[in-house]
Amino acid sequence: MNIKPNNKNLHFLQKSFKEYYFKNTDILECPHNISQREFGFMNFESDMKRHISFDDMGQLNAYLLQNVPSDIYYSNSYYEFPTFPMNEKRWIGADLIFDIDLKDLASPCLMQHTYFICKECGIVSQKLIKLCDLCKSTKIHSIVIPCPICINILKKETKKLISFLTEDFGIDSKYIFIYFSGNTGFHITAIDQKYFTLDSKARSDLAGYLMGKNISLGSLGVRRNKLNLTVKIPQSGFSYGWRKRIINNLNLSGVSNDKLSIYIKKIGGYDEFKKEVENITKTIGVKIDPYVTMDIHRIFRMSGSINSKSGLSKVECKNLDTFDPFSDACLFQENENIDINVKTKLKLIFKQKKYHLDNSSATVPYPVAIYLVSKSLADVV
Amino acid sequence: MGKDDLAKYPFLKEAGMYVKETHFGIDEFGRPEFNHILEKAKTRIEHEILSGNVFLELQKYDIDLFTFLISLIMIKCINIESITKKYCLLEAMRVESFLIDDLRHEKDVKKKKLLISKIFGELFDLKIVLDEFTPNLFKMRISDYLVRSTSFHEQEWKLINRSVNGGLVYLDVEETVRLIRNELSILIYNKIKAMEIVKFPDTINSYASSIKNKVVIPVNLQTKTSKYPPCINHAIDLLNKNENLPHSARFFLATYMLTCGKGSEEVIDLFKNAPDFNERITRYQVEHLSGQRGSLTKYSVPACSKLANENLCFYTHECKGIKNPLQFGRNKLQK
Repeated sequence: MNIKPNNKNLHFLQKSFKEYYFKNTDILECPHNISQREFGFMNFESDMKRHISFDDMGQLNAYLLQNVPSDIYYSNSYYEFPTFPMNEKRWIGADLIFDIDLKDLASPCLMQHTYFICKECGIVSQKLIKLCDLCKSTKIHSIVIPCPICINILKKETKKLISFLTEDFGIDSKYIFIYFSGNTGFHITAIDQKYFTLDSKARSDLAGYLMGKNISLGSLGVRRNKLNLTVKIPQSGFSYGWRKRIINNLNLSGVSNDKLSIYIKKIGGYDEFKKEVENITKTIGVKIDPYVTMDIHRIFRMSGSINSKSGLSKVECKNLDTFDPFSDACLFQENENIDINVKTKLKLIFKQKKYHLDNSSATVPYPVAIYLVSKSLADVV
Repeated sequence: MGKDDLAKYPFLKEAGMYVKETHFGIDEFGRPEFNHILEKAKTRIEHEILSGNVFLELQKYDIDLFTFLISLIMIKCINIESITKKYCLLEAMRVESFLIDDLRHEKDVKKKKLLISKIFGELFDLKIVLDEFTPNLFKMRISDYLVRSTSFHEQEWKLINRSVNGGLVYLDVEETVRLIRNELSILIYNKIKAMEIVKFPDTINSYASSIKNKVVIPVNLQTKTSKYPPCINHAIDLLNKNENLPHSARFFLATYMLTCGKGSEEVIDLFKNAPDFNERITRYQVEHLSGQRGSLTKYSVPACSKLANENLCFYTHECKGIKNPLQFGRNKLQK
């Protein structure tokens, strides 16, 4: 949830979510070895319940109808005793998970479709504010409605990640699953036994690799002893991984010790070369959230479940190029219209239809109402 | 494997079989004709424990093999944890040195592959493949690499600084062998621990006592740990148990103690129980941190948040509200 909904909004969302899980019992993707996973649920009061487990999807569906959570999560880890306290669960292993979110990407248009909402009084501003004009609260929350440009940036970043995972880490693309997170990002899960038992430290190193962090010039054979520069191309050459990417980016493929040395001197020496290499790694590196990848006790949003921050669902993207979150992740039926009060001027493309809404009341299709109310940008009349 | 290899790699199955076939019992080493082996074992231990340097001498394979076994018995007999750990580490480094040499110079690919399979495969279940295009370049699975490399703190061991392709990491001879040093050390340590000797022969006992008298008994820190924050106590506990501390923990412990007003000598003494303690290096580093050397900058104690990132934080309720370990206990005093 973005901000605590008023009673009408709360009732509307709870009823809609319950209906969603009642009508779509097969929409949730059953995790591999479900009984070894820890489940967690957020309710509409933003309380989290964790350390729950189910033997099968039937049990889970029954729980959902009884409790109607706002969000459903399960662990990427497998445990012997998933319901026990964390240090007694007996960790077996974990899938590799990655989170690519708009907040970590430099999208040029992000501010044009970011809204600022006061958590106390719910007033929405299109300008960046630190203090609410109305109630003077400093609890300001930002809400993004991703535009097609942002979605494409996210897709591009996701593709970059996939290429690292397949080429460098040797993970078969068949076992890499791409999901739209339901809000402003993509979740990627890779299931590969080779990486299954890696601990948090090792996963942190994997994340660092993907992000291009901690590159050392020594790995390119470039060292500085006091004031002297030494260049000795590593035995494993520049044929693979980051070394290949950096050398190709510098247009130096097939370079010798002498040529690399001359190049470094030409651009201004060791420090300048370091800056150039760091710029390359920053540009080429994948902008993932490293804490998600390294955390082996995280619970991750369940595929098929609704993201309460948007009312859209987390869904698998079978074809990333053609995927449109505002069509493919919107799983509520369009069978009725809802009257809402929109809190700000906004533009929205939903199921290929454009909406230009103003600071006034409007009648919109049911999924659009779910989206805007979940985003705290509209109230149900 | 040739017989000469048994002297270099005396923990291999073949070495055990050879010893078994000789039918020598431990009591027989009390006989005067074996004095030279006992003497050599003593020299080997004293050299490694006192100087902190690897004993690289190789004689005849059978003598070296028995020397190794007797030295293990002597270490067991000495029965001081810090000595045992230090000895195991230096013996692991001895193996490392021979292995690097053998892998680098062996021209026969079959022999090289056999050595790799014996050491890496049989002992540590680690699959290493020779690169088909570049001599002396090895490949291992990323996961096998990470399991080992993450205990190293130098930037060069980060995966990004390796050649990586198709799920494999490419390494040269030294790097490949360095990765298993810790496992080699544990292997030797476990051999010592697993020995079930009811009574040590008198001669071995007397050699062990003589060694024990020579080697400096490490200071038991017995620090009044209650006044320190839990992160510092944890580091001191590890040193008291003769465990190796990661580089970041050493940095943190030293800067903390120096800032608390301890002198360089006192701080150096803290590290004497570390299995890889080397006084010269420790002195250099402590003096560097205290601003007596190098850039003459006195290093400050890392913040709690940094320690937490490096898994060095052991938060208790007494830490509530502090941002740096140096603030520990101050609130309590103010109340």
